[in-house]
Amino acid sequence: MADLKETIISSMVNGPDVLQDIVSARRNGRDYVTDRFHTKTIVNRLHPDKLSLRVSEIRTAASGAKTFRFVSCGGALPYFEAGQYLNVFTEIDGVRTSRPYSISSSPKQRGYYEITVARIPAGFVSDYFLDKVKVSDTFEANGPAGVFHYNPVFHKKRSVFLAGGSGITPFMSMISEALESGAERDITLIYGVRNEDAAIFKDELISFEKTYKNFRFHLVLSEAPEGYSGRRGFIDEACIRELAGNTDDCTFYLCGPQVMTDFCYEALCKLKVSKNHIRREMFGSRQDIQNEPGWPANLTGNEVFKLKVGDRTIDALSRESILTALERAGIRVNVCCRSGECSYCRVRLVSGKVFMPRGVLLRLADEKFGFIHSCKAYPMEDLEIEF
Amino acid sequence: MANYDVIVIGSGNGGLASAATLALSGKKVLVLEKHNIPGGCGTSFRRGRFEFEVALHQLSSMGTAEKPGPLREIFRRYGIEKKIDWIPIESLYKVNLPGGIGVSIPADRRKAEETLCARFPQEKENILNYFKMVYRFNDEIAAFLAQSAQSSGEPSELKKKIMKFGFPKKYPTLAKYAVRSTQDVLDEFFKSTELQLCLSAYWCFMGVPPQRFPFSILARCTHIYIEDKPYYLRGGSQMMSQAIADCIRENGGEIRYNCPAVKMILENGKAVGVIDGSGEQHRAKKIISNISPVNTYFDLLEPGQAPEEARDYLKGYTVGISALTCFIGLDCPPEEIGFTDSFNLIYDSLNANEDFLNSYRLDASVDPIIATNYTVDDPEVSPKGTSLITAGVLKYGQPWEALSPEEYYETKYRLANTIVDRLETRFPGFRAHIEEMEVATPLTHARYLGHPGGAIYGFEQDLKSSVFFFPQQSFIEGLTFASGWVNTCGFGPNYMYGDKIAKALLEEV
Ligand SMILES: Cc1cc2nc3c(=O)[nH]c(=O)nc-3n(C[C@H](O)[C@H](O)[C@H](O)COP(=O)(O)OP(=O)(O)OC[C@H]3O[C@@H](n4cnc5c(N)ncnc54)[C@H](O)[C@@H]3O)c2cc1C
Ligand SMILES: Cc1cc2nc3c(=O)[nH]c(=O)nc-3n(C[C@H](O)[C@H](O)[C@H](O)COP(=O)(O)OP(=O)(O)OC[C@H]3O[C@@H](n4cnc5c(N)ncnc54)[C@H](O)[C@@H]3O)c2cc1C
Ligand code: FES
Repeated sequence: MADLKETIISSMVNGPDVLQDIVSARRNGRDYVTDRFHTKTIVNRLHPDKLSLRVSEIRTAASGAKTFRFVSCGGALPYFEAGQYLNVFTEIDGVRTSRPYSISSSPKQRGYYEITVARIPAGFVSDYFLDKVKVSDTFEANGPAGVFHYNPVFHKKRSVFLAGGSGITPFMSMISEALESGAERDITLIYGVRNEDAAIFKDELISFEKTYKNFRFHLVLSEAPEGYSGRRGFIDEACIRELAGNTDDCTFYLCGPQVMTDFCYEALCKLKVSKNHIRREMFGSRQDIQNEPGWPANLTGNEVFKLKVGDRTIDALSRESILTALERAGIRVNVCCRSGECSYCRVRLVSGKVFMPRGVLLRLADEKFGFIHSCKAYPMEDLEIEF
Repeated sequence: MANYDVIVIGSGNGGLASAATLALSGKKVLVLEKHNIPGGCGTSFRRGRFEFEVALHQLSSMGTAEKPGPLREIFRRYGIEKKIDWIPIESLYKVNLPGGIGVSIPADRRKAEETLCARFPQEKENILNYFKMVYRFNDEIAAFLAQSAQSSGEPSELKKKIMKFGFPKKYPTLAKYAVRSTQDVLDEFFKSTELQLCLSAYWCFMGVPPQRFPFSILARCTHIYIEDKPYYLRGGSQMMSQAIADCIRENGGEIRYNCPAVKMILENGKAVGVIDGSGEQHRAKKIISNISPVNTYFDLLEPGQAPEEARDYLKGYTVGISALTCFIGLDCPPEEIGFTDSFNLIYDSLNANEDFLNSYRLDASVDPIIATNYTVDDPEVSPKGTSLITAGVLKYGQPWEALSPEEYYETKYRLANTIVDRLETRFPGFRAHIEEMEVATPLTHARYLGHPGGAIYGFEQDLKSSVFFFPQQSFIEGLTFASGWVNTCGFGPNYMYGDKIAKALLEEV
């Protein structure tokens, strides 16, 4: 005899039909045992938890910059949107850390990814890449990730790329993809570097310009030698006005050192470019964090504070992010963008004060409940955090 | 290896609520969450100047401080009611019909009736009768629940016979309407299709079209949202998720993030613990799974371990729908392009049931659009002079799974573009004001939630698998479920269900 529920339902209008449906659904339904790991497999194709990469080739890209070609140590490399980055993990002198690098190769081929690393003063990971890394070294990475890419729904078909130094890397990928796929796009690249030797991808870009009518390339040298006939100085208002064409009808993309993108952003504001036509890659934290607006006047950057985490207490330098302090101490933190945007490195500040530069994208709830992004939070006093 | 009273797998709404209730009663709980933040669907993310809400449009069952609804009472117990700024919403929703006609339904019975009668004067009687029936329906549910609470155990055959004949007499409205579809009931009451669409809007909260949408759920939603008012909250659903997570920790509970459950430990057929992604073992007297039964039985257990009965039982349930959602930040305030209500349902044709079939296809040209402009009810939800919008269509995951990666991105932007085109005709100027935009597909939901098909509402919430027939039964001793997979989906329902499951376990651990 049916249970009470069924008894009651069979007394309702449409009840017997529904009960009958249930019986036949059970007879013909899906046996989910066949779906073991199905969802995970599908998701991993686009977003694997981790990539395992091997260097297959290294080329000099410019003075002080090298291009590294990575192939997969197993499994296909996932697709990415041109402009996205990889976060590559390294182990240097016993310290496990990572750095985001934009993929400079085109997503149209996925046999490999290429990144191009430029040397910076007092570099740590960049020095390691340029001086130590050799063919067949292996790396773990996460990504591809990032939101600095073309969005056909609301970006203009005419793009103006403003690049500084190694900030050319995501554009190289975006340019190759757009041009080689024959997309209906029009691209102007304005690339600022010190001198011609430091200009990454110069030859490729010149050859693109020769091949494709819808691409224009302008090099702007800040330390041009005497007699240089090209454009000199910085990418400023006048330069953009002259080279970009009608500024109402294009989307601007900025990538490079923060001082450069700050400067260009202001120039665009002066040109009355609307904010929704400006896209900006954060491209990491500035090295001279002490010069960031709002930096506490009483700190020099050299103070060493105590950072308590669980039952450990470690040292934390005021000019280094909490993430760096944790990594130096061998404590593992989830991380991806290292620019304050993705929230992977989120930790809770139990006590103490931190300095947070611009560009940290905290959720309101995180702000309210005391969470910070450890990659862009600098100790201002002794601290305690928890995961 | 530590021992707990209860391990909760997943920190979605059901997981958080069950853990909080247990922790508050002094039980030792461990919550394992694979993501780096609590909430599951109940979360948000940042892009540029905007913080996008992932799931919450309207919170149900809150009621006012003076006349609290059941959810507010739970939040009081958790000590989080006062930590959050609640924002009552005065309009239930606005239905945008073909031809540019828009009907806003006020969150008040009389006003809702008046609005509809004014718009559809020829069906005045029908409208008033319909609301009467909906209210009677809810009264009978309350009476029936009160009666069932008194009786316990399986009744005798005689009692069953009496019920069989007595039930329709005692609860005539339930007997007549409780297991029928929304379309069927609305056809009985109304002639105008437009009017039907103005009343059936909540089908999109459950992801099944009016033809398959249980009228019971519609009647419940209509009553609850009118009586307890829809609510939003400052900071969005992440604020509740974090507040409950805090309550769990403050009461001695443990939550581990970036820590997926990868295996369930069975001993003599009984669930006794969980192994996490780092290989660590945790043991407990009971396990609550906040993830789908499909993942629980077939991913966390070895192939031979999943009980035969569980496989058979789940055959009766189909993985439900997912969504394609555009998260959009506009650089203009809502009124500038004509948004008057936060929650909008947009129809470009009157054939809602037929148009719904498009949810199996990789195209968004006819699907009803669900568009919420959060800034309408909370001007502070986004920076001054901007609007925060999510606009989406319901989509099944399957066709997305078959795409190559290149096709995937092409498809995602193509559909998003169609949605923006369609919004442009309703809200001229829309496209030119877009400042930020992110698009989530069924695969995005699968990635962040881990659910099969990227399902956002669990199994299909249709007549044969919801209301009276949720798959709440567990076939493994020591294992219980608390999630939108085994219960009415939605925030309120899952907090309440998590709380209920936890209370039931209190006796046992
Ligand atoms: C999205 C994105 C894309 C990028 N793409 C590129 C690109 O394509 N090409 C490119 O060249 N750059 C790129 N960058 C910048 C790049 O990630 C690095 O910032 C750059 O390579 C500098 O790294 P670095 O370690 O040398 O310098 P920094 O990151 O400035 O490192 C110096 C810092 O390392 C830490 N450090 C020093 N010594 C130690 C130690 N012993 N142990 C632990 N920590 C120590 C200290 O905090 C010190 O301040 C990108 C950045 C972002 C965010
Ligand atoms: C786009 C969208 C719109 C919605 N709109 C509304 C609305 O307006 N009003 C409303 O009331 N409801 C709405 N909902 C529905 C509501 O959000 C859900 O019904 C409810 O949140 C489901 O909660 P849950 O407890 O089932 O957990 P879920 O939110 O499904 O969370 C499951 C959790 O488990 C975690 N997990 C998965 N696998 C593992 C593992 N192996 N180990 C550990 N953790 C794991 C996941 O990371 C996730 O945190 C909407 C949902 C979506 C997605
Ligand atoms: S790693 Fe992305 S916010 Fe810190």
